[in-house]
Amino acid sequence: MGCFAPRVEIMTTTDSTDSTAGTTTTEYTPERPVRLRWAEHAPEVYKAMIRLDTAAKQGLDPKLYELVKIRASQINHCAFCVDMHSKDALAAGESVERIIQLSAWDESRHFYTRKELAALELTEAVTVLTDGFVPDEVYERAAKHFGEAELAQLISAIATINAWNRFGVTFRMAPGNYQPGQHK
Amino acid sequence: MTLRTRLLDQAVGRAMSTLSATAKKGLGDPALAELVVIRASQLNHCAFCLDMHLALARKHGVSEQQLDLLAAWEEAGDVFGERERAALALTEAVTVLTDGFVPDEVYDRAAAHFDDIRLAHLVGLIIAINNWNRVMVGRRIPPGGHTT
Repeated sequence: MGCFAPRVEIMTTTDSTDSTAGTTTTEYTPERPVRLRWAEHAPEVYKAMIRLDTAAKQGLDPKLYELVKIRASQINHCAFCVDMHSKDALAAGESVERIIQLSAWDESRHFYTRKELAALELTEAVTVLTDGFVPDEVYERAAKHFGEAELAQLISAIATINAWNRFGVTFRMAPGNYQPGQHK
Repeated sequence: MTLRTRLLDQAVGRAMSTLSATAKKGLGDPALAELVVIRASQLNHCAFCLDMHLALARKHGVSEQQLDLLAAWEEAGDVFGERERAALALTEAVTVLTDGFVPDEVYDRAAAHFDDIRLAHLVGLIIAINNWNRVMVGRRIPPGGHTT
């Protein structure tokens, strides 16, 4: 995973009337090294996570779950996960607009279905538990769009992306190198 | 406060149990494991998890004084040792991600007390209980009824 050299972007301007025309180089800060390759040190834990991931997404609409995964990863600041799930969503045909608007979904509701909005609201409540519980109105709104078993499964799925987020952030897994479909 | 649903997919439940068990085994310190699990459950307000793991902690010989003072471990003087304090600081950082990342000083402090393998399992355990906390609070499972 990862080369730690700075990413370099070279921009060439071709406007001949611009006296500053020429080549400018933007050097980004270097990629930080991963803290620990946890899966190599705890392979049984990694295997259990893969099994949990496979089980938790059963019966859920993959398109909806991808939105849930991106939103939870945003809230938990998991850079690796945001990179991975945005790329996976794009590769699966999700629109750039709906991915961009996710961090402000409450103000851009017309990009999403009512069912998606209820799932996003539940995602936030289940993710930010330390601020207090999952409000009745949030749960009940979700219950209007999901059957009991499907809703229980959605909660498990939200918990599972939270788990991946915590591994990604704690061990500082580096974003940017993921290729869509790599971890399917 | 009423129960919402007891439904939990069997394969999900099995995978979560395996996740917890393997992480706990790899950490190799059942008493410390309970302290970590209880502290995360306090932060996530999981009543079911607290009830269950307080009983388990007592079974593993964790002292009443440690259980009483766990919520204020940083201010509890020498009730908790340096290794326990490093694990509890890491537990809080990994649990409260929404306030921002896991600071270098917290991670490095834990890495000074746990080798790579134990550290990977400690983090796995913190994450496993966070998962249970979400699944229990989300479905509003009342305390009690566990088999410990």
